[in-house]
Amino acid sequence: MYRKTSPVLLLALLSLAPCAHADGAAPDGDIADLTLEQLNEIVVTSVSRQEEKLGNAASSLFVISAIDIRRSGARSLPEALRLAPNLEVARVDARNYAISARGFNNPFANKLLVLIDGRSVYSPFFSAVFWDAQSVVMEDIDRIEVISGPGSTIWGVNAVNGVINIITRSAKDTQGALLSVAGSSGQGDASLRFGGKLSNNGYYRAYVQAMASEDTDSEAGANTFTGMQRRQAGFRADWGLAGGSFTVSGDIYEANLGQFMTRDIRLSGANMIARYMRQLADDSAMRLQLVLDHTERNQPTAYVDRLDTVELEGQHDVKLGDHKLSWGGGYRHSRDDNTPGPGFGFWPYQRTMHWGNLFAQDEFALTPNLRATGGLKVEHNTYTGAEVLPTLRLAWNLDSKRTVWGALSRTVRAPARTDRDFVAPPAPIMTGGTPHFAIGTSPGFESEVAKVLELGYRAQPVQNFSYSVTAWYGDYDKLRTFEPNTTPGPYRGVFEFRNLSEGRTRGIEFWARWQPMLRWRLNAGLVVQDIDTSLKPGSKDATAFGLVINDPSSYWQLRSSHELSEHIQLDWTLRYNGSMPKPYVPSYHELDANLVWKVHPNMDVALAGENLLHAHHAEWGAYPGRSVFERRAVLKLTMRY
Amino acid sequence: MVSASLTTYAAPPLAAAGWRARLLLLLAMMLFAISCLSVGAQQGVSAPVTERSVKAAFLYKFLGYMEFPSDPGPSLVVGVLGADDVAAELAQIAGGRNVGSRSITVRKLAEGEPVAGLTLLFVGAEASLPAASLRAAEKNGTVTVTEQDDGLQIGSVINFRLVDERVRFEVSLPAAERCNVRLSSRLLSVAYRVQKGGQ
Repeated sequence: MYRKTSPVLLLALLSLAPCAHADGAAPDGDIADLTLEQLNEIVVTSVSRQEEKLGNAASSLFVISAIDIRRSGARSLPEALRLAPNLEVARVDARNYAISARGFNNPFANKLLVLIDGRSVYSPFFSAVFWDAQSVVMEDIDRIEVISGPGSTIWGVNAVNGVINIITRSAKDTQGALLSVAGSSGQGDASLRFGGKLSNNGYYRAYVQAMASEDTDSEAGANTFTGMQRRQAGFRADWGLAGGSFTVSGDIYEANLGQFMTRDIRLSGANMIARYMRQLADDSAMRLQLVLDHTERNQPTAYVDRLDTVELEGQHDVKLGDHKLSWGGGYRHSRDDNTPGPGFGFWPYQRTMHWGNLFAQDEFALTPNLRATGGLKVEHNTYTGAEVLPTLRLAWNLDSKRTVWGALSRTVRAPARTDRDFVAPPAPIMTGGTPHFAIGTSPGFESEVAKVLELGYRAQPVQNFSYSVTAWYGDYDKLRTFEPNTTPGPYRGVFEFRNLSEGRTRGIEFWARWQPMLRWRLNAGLVVQDIDTSLKPGSKDATAFGLVINDPSSYWQLRSSHELSEHIQLDWTLRYNGSMPKPYVPSYHELDANLVWKVHPNMDVALAGENLLHAHHAEWGAYPGRSVFERRAVLKLTMRY
Repeated sequence: MVSASLTTYAAPPLAAAGWRARLLLLLAMMLFAISCLSVGAQQGVSAPVTERSVKAAFLYKFLGYMEFPSDPGPSLVVGVLGADDVAAELAQIAGGRNVGSRSITVRKLAEGEPVAGLTLLFVGAEASLPAASLRAAEKNGTVTVTEQDDGLQIGSVINFRLVDERVRFEVSLPAAERCNVRLSSRLLSVAYRVQKGGQ
């Protein structure tokens, strides 16, 4: 079944190079001779200035812009995240992904925090992100900020290895109608959005979307029954107020997910965000945010889980002389109601969880070119009480084009229900009047702790070339293991989760942007890493059940964005993922290409080719049951009015 | 409306490998042809431009669509705060160009520097106290331009936004009135949105 890299295609790519254009000189001076109307229609294709500004941060931050997403042809959040060079993205099957930064990857990667417009989608039930439950209208994304490395002082526990902030555009910027439809063999999606004006200086948009993905095949050629269909609708309204703004948004969704030999898994949910921002004075601003979230996952033979969350948070930013001070706090309340299936459960079946936090961070100028940031968050959770999350960062601007930065952070992953409350069988076995399980509960499971040192350098030596290098060293302790229970007690099992593993990670993240010609941009990214974990003395973990990780020692990507003409853009991405050990997944190279033709100012037609180099390849899991992803073409139509 | 059920196209397995190779060859040749053809089709200003140069060009253009209550003198002075890249670009545009009979002077401002004598002030995203600068400018009768989400809310006359990969601008008529400038209807008609009084 395997086929080698297609020589025809490589030839074609090479042949593009000599054909590339030699128009190096910028006609920037001429644009001042355009009319206002013409200026209004010029497409800006360089890195946005906001991105450059974010690039000054003393952390390993990569921004995926709306332009990058559109030009790549990505039709889902996980596929868009492949654009970030500092993320490991492995597609598991038709609907599941393993996504992490700086190692510890697996489909339940539990050290990466993901927020959509400030709403956390990290599940406190399963300590992971259910990627099959997350969707936005791709055209409404403003940008995705991907921070690799600890972000706990601002974002709290679980932002251990990174934070992904998915930020959608203001309703003000999504006026009018948009229809986008994409289809390929095995997958299709459609979104319809409409935006309009409200009274009182307000704007709104509302959307409906649907997608379907067929089951993938396993490497042995069997159906994996992992296809899905999802339907979603939502809205966002933004009001500009005197000296502030108010935003309300909401989504509602349901999905059917395939499962072998049972009826479909049913997934549904709804959420709402209200956010108020106000400029209190010239040097002082505040933000208040309320989030309501409901999710339900009904998985035959496993469980029915209902999770309701209310979260309120506030932040105040104030400038005092050379100091930029941010402080604030938040409170989250979740109720998880789990009805177990025959195999396993969560004990107690219902649990109410609370998180409360207070934080303060100060950024101050030690000298005009040297900025220090010190911050501390104290977050209290139901399982382990107060967790202390400090960070210290230094950024030194050598000149306007070069920055050296360093950071020291301590961060934790707090237990989720899956760590503490997991039991099998779901109902206790009574022995001598005392309830026992085979597995769980795990009341002794504590937070996993990481101490991380980062050093970074960013430079833009010439106008059309910039790069970023980050080296990190992470010291991980109390990582989760699966141990025989040696101290029986009430509600205790034969096995339990404990914290008897430790790890050391180190690596280098590198990315660069180069615009060799006016109409041609290249992006490159490379991560080389060593993720090393070991069991501590006393551990008897003989399974791969506690510490589940599988990381390549390197991965890289090369992305080209080419304006072939005023109306035609060609983008391609060549990516490499190193082999992974446990279970063994071979390394692979793949190539995706996307050709966008602007037929009309209001209409784009795009033809994408995915996984062009091989007939199929696998990204995750053990042979022969793992899914393989085939070469395919995707046709997409986007219309705006 | 998009209905709940979506068409997924059944995947006809491409039977022979030769088929695929030919298809790829065709695709490759197409891409090659398109990229070569496009060489001839790229003069003029359809080439990609940077955000800073579009903003600088807009700032220069704005001057021609404003009527000031009092004579601003032989030279129009544009102050730029918190956006050195735009200042550099604008200085290049302004060199050798006039607005009517007036020349243009670009002045890079430091934080807190007085705005006296300025016709137009651009407050860039890197300015640390934008609201204070806007207020000082308003008192001075200087027209202000910003590039932040809440630009009009904090008192700016014109605010740049990035919309659909284009630089667009929004205008506040009450703010324009407060600094006694008349904006031409042409400028208002190009504006992406116009905030009127009483809102």
